[in-house]
Amino acid sequence: MDNAIMIGLTRQMTLRRSMDVVANNIANANTAGFKVESLLLENAPAQTAEHSDGPSELQYVNTWGMGRDFGQGELEFTGRTFDLAIEGEGFFAVDANGTEQYTRDGRFRTDAEGQLVAADGAPVLDADTRAPILLNPNAETTTIVDGGVIMQDGIQVGRVGVFEMPNRSLMSKEGNGRYTVPASDNPDDQPQAMLDPSVRQGFVERSNVQSILELTDMMTIMRSYQSVSKFLSDAEDLNQRSIERLGRVS
Amino acid sequence: MRALNTAATGMQAQQLNVEVISNNLANMNTTGFKRQRAEFQDLLYQNVQAMGMDSSDAGTIVPTGVQVGLGVQAASIYRITEQGSLNNTGNPFDLAISGRGYFRINMPDGSDAYTRAGNFAISPEGQIVTADGYTVAPGIAIPQDAREVAINAQGQVQALIDGQTEPQTVGQLELVTFFNEAGLEATGDNLYLESAASGAANVGTPDSPGFGAIRQGFVESANVNAVSEITALIQAQRAYEMNARVITASDEMLAASSNLR
Repeated sequence: MDNAIMIGLTRQMTLRRSMDVVANNIANANTAGFKVESLLLENAPAQTAEHSDGPSELQYVNTWGMGRDFGQGELEFTGRTFDLAIEGEGFFAVDANGTEQYTRDGRFRTDAEGQLVAADGAPVLDADTRAPILLNPNAETTTIVDGGVIMQDGIQVGRVGVFEMPNRSLMSKEGNGRYTVPASDNPDDQPQAMLDPSVRQGFVERSNVQSILELTDMMTIMRSYQSVSKFLSDAEDLNQRSIERLGRVS
Repeated sequence: MRALNTAATGMQAQQLNVEVISNNLANMNTTGFKRQRAEFQDLLYQNVQAMGMDSSDAGTIVPTGVQVGLGVQAASIYRITEQGSLNNTGNPFDLAISGRGYFRINMPDGSDAYTRAGNFAISPEGQIVTADGYTVAPGIAIPQDAREVAINAQGQVQALIDGQTEPQTVGQLELVTFFNEAGLEATGDNLYLESAASGAANVGTPDSPGFGAIRQGFVESANVNAVSEITALIQAQRAYEMNARVITASDEMLAASSNLR
């Protein structure tokens, strides 16, 4: 097939993929702790077939990676005791069936045993011991002061772990608002408990999706897709006409 | 195209959100009602290009990878058990709990249910019962000739019998707490059942450590805040509309392709 049509097709493929990403952002506009994503593209140069006067290189487009904007989502006041939000850097850690997973979604609760858990029952890990946090269910007051320290009736029962990611590009999304970090030989790549994180009790961090930006992105993608379609049919027209002309000459 | 399905999950999630909000608003004046909140989480991710893969023979690796998300899902509908405000009614059998705890109700089938709605009444046999006529544990009978019934913060029920000067203690109310109140199973009629998630019922005396106090002549109103519910409703509606726009846009992209010759 023609190079022009192939190039147009690679552009349409990446546009479709971008649309999928934008759709996911919009679907998660009300998901607490969700971080907006965008598709990063790259040129994929390819050699043309041998000929003397034409351009030496073709530029296809290809997906290169995923950009995640880890910027702060706005904090919404709920007043619930176990709604926690991180202001600034860091992630909460939970124990999901033996693997440590990281999340920005701090809507925690207590389970039947009095452990601090996430919505699916995965225990939240302590900063110092990296073990589940056991609360006193009969406590009159539970306050979580800055730094993540949990005080019940004036006694410290634990410290909610907030972990710093040295290399956020290694994080892989697991769904449920969770990320995992692959095991690595380099200890510098592993998450470290932060000494003085900024944890706000009674707040939920909303997603950092800005709907206006997503909608304009969506329109740009749609229009580009349509113009590439137009370009493809023009290229096809050109082919057809040249065949007709050549046929007439002979 | 994934975008179509992704936007559909977004619309379903917002629909669920509106359903929860409308139930909260419908129960704004229900005694002892606790509002609920729909919580969402992102759905699965599809690896188009896995991170950490080798990108060349020289041992370089793909730094970020391409993971495309497939939408949103409901994580839980969480009941927020914070205290509702107490309204004075003056009715001696309206009891409100100020603090933690539930009344235990003996159901007709012999099982137990739990409630915060303390708008009680007296049965023809003189027992304290719920609005549906179920006995409030531990089953306190008020003598027929009682002139006045007083219930104190500790749940002691005292009756002043006609012709007597000293009030007589006729019973002691009890309260029940759970490790995880939000894990109770709602059965309607303001009643909750114990579940595996809530933990076992812990019976105690009102106003003792860890238990709320009883307030006679008050009912606990629903903890629904109309303003925040309406704000949430507006947010849900706008999010729904935006997801619908994504479906339209994806559809137009598909149309552009199918109009190619």
